[in-house]
Amino acid sequence: MKNKRYINYLKKILVLALVLRGIWSGNYKAQETDYKAYTLFIYNFMKYIEWPEAQNKGDFIIAVLGDSPVTKELQTLAAGKKLKGRTIVLKKCNTLEECIGCHLLYISSSKSSVLKTLKDQIKDKPILLVGEREGLAKKGAGLSFVTLDDDELKFDINKKEIELHQLKIAGSLINLGIVIN
Amino acid sequence: MQKFRLIFSIIILTIGSHSIALAQTDTTAAPKDSLDYYDMSLDQLLKIKSHGVATELEKLINTLISVASKKPLNTRESPSIVSLITEEEIKKSGARDLIDVLRLVPGFDFGVDVEGVVGIGIRGNWSHEGKVLVLIDGQEMNEILFASTTFGNHYPIDQIKRIEIIRGPGSAIYGGYAEYGVINIITRQGGDINGLIASAVYGQMDKTYARRNVNISIGQKIKDFQYSVSGLIGQGNRSDQNLKDIYGQSYNMAGNSGLNPRFINVGLAYKGLSLRCMGDFFQTSIGLRYTHVNAKGSYIENFNSLYSELKYVIKINDKFTITPKLNFKQQTPWQTNIKDSISEPPAYNVTAYRGTANLTGSFNLNRYINLVAGGEIWKDYAIQNFDTTYFSDGKKTATYFNYAFFTQGLIKTRLVNIILGARYDKHNAYGDAFVPRVGLTKKYNRFHFKALYSQAFRAPTIENIHYQGTSNIHPERTEIIELELGYQITRKSLFTINVYDITTAKPIIYYVDTALHNDAYINFGKSGTQGIEAEYRLKGSWGYFTLNYSYYSAANKPKVDKYAVANNSSALLGFANHKVNLTSSFNITKNLSFNPSVSIYGPRWGYVPSDSVGISALKQFDPTALINFFIRYNTPLKGLTFGLGVYDILNQKFHFIQPYNSDHPPLPGPSREIVFRLSYTLNYKTKTVN
Repeated sequence: MKNKRYINYLKKILVLALVLRGIWSGNYKAQETDYKAYTLFIYNFMKYIEWPEAQNKGDFIIAVLGDSPVTKELQTLAAGKKLKGRTIVLKKCNTLEECIGCHLLYISSSKSSVLKTLKDQIKDKPILLVGEREGLAKKGAGLSFVTLDDDELKFDINKKEIELHQLKIAGSLINLGIVIN
Repeated sequence: MQKFRLIFSIIILTIGSHSIALAQTDTTAAPKDSLDYYDMSLDQLLKIKSHGVATELEKLINTLISVASKKPLNTRESPSIVSLITEEEIKKSGARDLIDVLRLVPGFDFGVDVEGVVGIGIRGNWSHEGKVLVLIDGQEMNEILFASTTFGNHYPIDQIKRIEIIRGPGSAIYGGYAEYGVINIITRQGGDINGLIASAVYGQMDKTYARRNVNISIGQKIKDFQYSVSGLIGQGNRSDQNLKDIYGQSYNMAGNSGLNPRFINVGLAYKGLSLRCMGDFFQTSIGLRYTHVNAKGSYIENFNSLYSELKYVIKINDKFTITPKLNFKQQTPWQTNIKDSISEPPAYNVTAYRGTANLTGSFNLNRYINLVAGGEIWKDYAIQNFDTTYFSDGKKTATYFNYAFFTQGLIKTRLVNIILGARYDKHNAYGDAFVPRVGLTKKYNRFHFKALYSQAFRAPTIENIHYQGTSNIHPERTEIIELELGYQITRKSLFTINVYDITTAKPIIYYVDTALHNDAYINFGKSGTQGIEAEYRLKGSWGYFTLNYSYYSAANKPKVDKYAVANNSSALLGFANHKVNLTSSFNITKNLSFNPSVSIYGPRWGYVPSDSVGISALKQFDPTALINFFIRYNTPLKGLTFGLGVYDILNQKFHFIQPYNSDHPPLPGPSREIVFRLSYTLNYKTKTVN
């Protein structure tokens, strides 16, 4: 009887040890979105998409519309990397007006609903619209991120929209994404 | 005292493993600490994950599986309660056979049927005959006379790449053998083998050997063509313990409980075209007939099957795929040639054939909507090999037809994935069955949920129809509601918990009347269980452990007498209400791993021979702990691996209990077993298969 009590006690310790072991294993973060990977893709969009000649002078301006954790990662990128010798400048904006004049406009998830108004405003200006939320490329952004079932990070390509904004996307980048039209 | 030491050792190991873990290099760490990260090539971008470099656990839970949906989905969004068992887990555990692997799955357990055959139970429900579908490389292993599958040194455990398990209904996809579960075994194909893999295993119990098996696989992938040939040959003993029947007779099972497998699996594939041929020649010996020790000693029983499949996956375009498939199988299960002194069914020798044609179309309307639809038709033919008046109306043969239609829609939205499916079967003898299902699933970063409602059915088999007693047999029908919640506690650990409610109407139950020496399959009233299953998984480069708990209760469900335990409304015969499993693996060094596992069973109930000759009495079996360990070592000789394990360290001598009351005494399982395992891998190229 006494033995049984001890066994039960030890079993409880074992269960507790297992749970603690998991929490103790060092990495507290669960599977949260990796915005550094988003930034890596954005940097490659900048490298493999061609802007009109007139836009290839001066700083390369990235605007982020709305709040997004990607901003912090883009700051690191802008501080440490250049694009073909050009300085990368990051601009955070809360209104559509503040965004005009950039090369690449990143639309955070929270601002997805303004895409239509945004498109009306920028018309065919040479600005690459990149949507954080899945499905924005279908609604008129040039590119938008998508997570596949096995957690692979991909991006949808709206080739027509990209070309409408006088931009040329390299074949090698097209092969990496999913063309939706 | 011995028990404490073991449990105490496990605790020390558990906590101690932290330092081992730290000593290992964490291969999952993301190489993002410098700006060089941004200089990745475009090819490298192909491997980027949305949630960063995946940990070992994330790789596992993000694995795409198709067992529950036809359309591949990750485990957390598959529309069933699923378990995924990898090749690594099987190898490291040193699993002796599928019983070792499946008893660690929440809600899964084993019991004895008749003639020493061990079958499976799921969530407290005896599922051996036609209620759990076992697939190996897409071939239905269930024999079509009774729809049973036999476990214990049978299937080629060393050749398995992955096992995908539905711990719930699968009829809406798979039809009438998948009422309570589906076990989808995928073996290594040509590209996985890429050379030659040979292995040998020897297991020794106290009094005799438990198994001595040899496996060989060869295979290769050459551009679009791949081939594989895998074989298993061996001998085994179920037990070395004494078995006593209700008449007071007993015998020792050492040398009298043979489990002798011969299994061959050949696969050829070129692009979308594939051909598979399998032969399963399983021979057992047993000294027990239905209820009594056989007067003439042990006798041989054969379970022989041949399978073949020709399949062509035709990709019409990026969105539309059509798959025509032809299957043929020939099975002679439960075949015996003896006649004994008591007038039970004497010898049995029936061969059954099934030819199946299946056409399935899959249409991806877009990334968010997938439709699957198809049809299937089969013909069953059975022939009694030595008696001209076996089947009804004095015929030597029986022939049946069945056709089925199935469909499934998957709609993925930002809020939830919706799965709707249904299957309709029409059989020329027992009528029709329609089983719909609805599933809602979604993962939101750390959290995921599944809400599932399914109907399922069990199709009466050729012998169910033959032995249908005085009233016609009908499909039994089941309704199952399941809810799963999961939370990823850390990047290396995941906790899931699920509840279920199962109600089966008109269960088909095998019934032996000991007094009259006759048997029949009868639709009884209603049965079912409710329960909860929880699992905690921790996995890293240091190893892994998985702790799960399962509980079922029949207290609030209707019961049939055959399954019931008198004076205990929550328990059903044969299966413990409470069960805890722990599986773990610790990489001591790069080449050496220590792999302990534990299964703790709560009390079980079963009928045992009583003091009065010819009568069984209900008995409560004490809680049991099966503790095992396996040490696996990759030797300096490239490709050569050595393993040593001890199973049932405490020598608990587990018994398989009959989960229905038909006077079969509990069948002794193996006693403590020491296992030696040797495997050698020779690769054509540099790829290494561990």
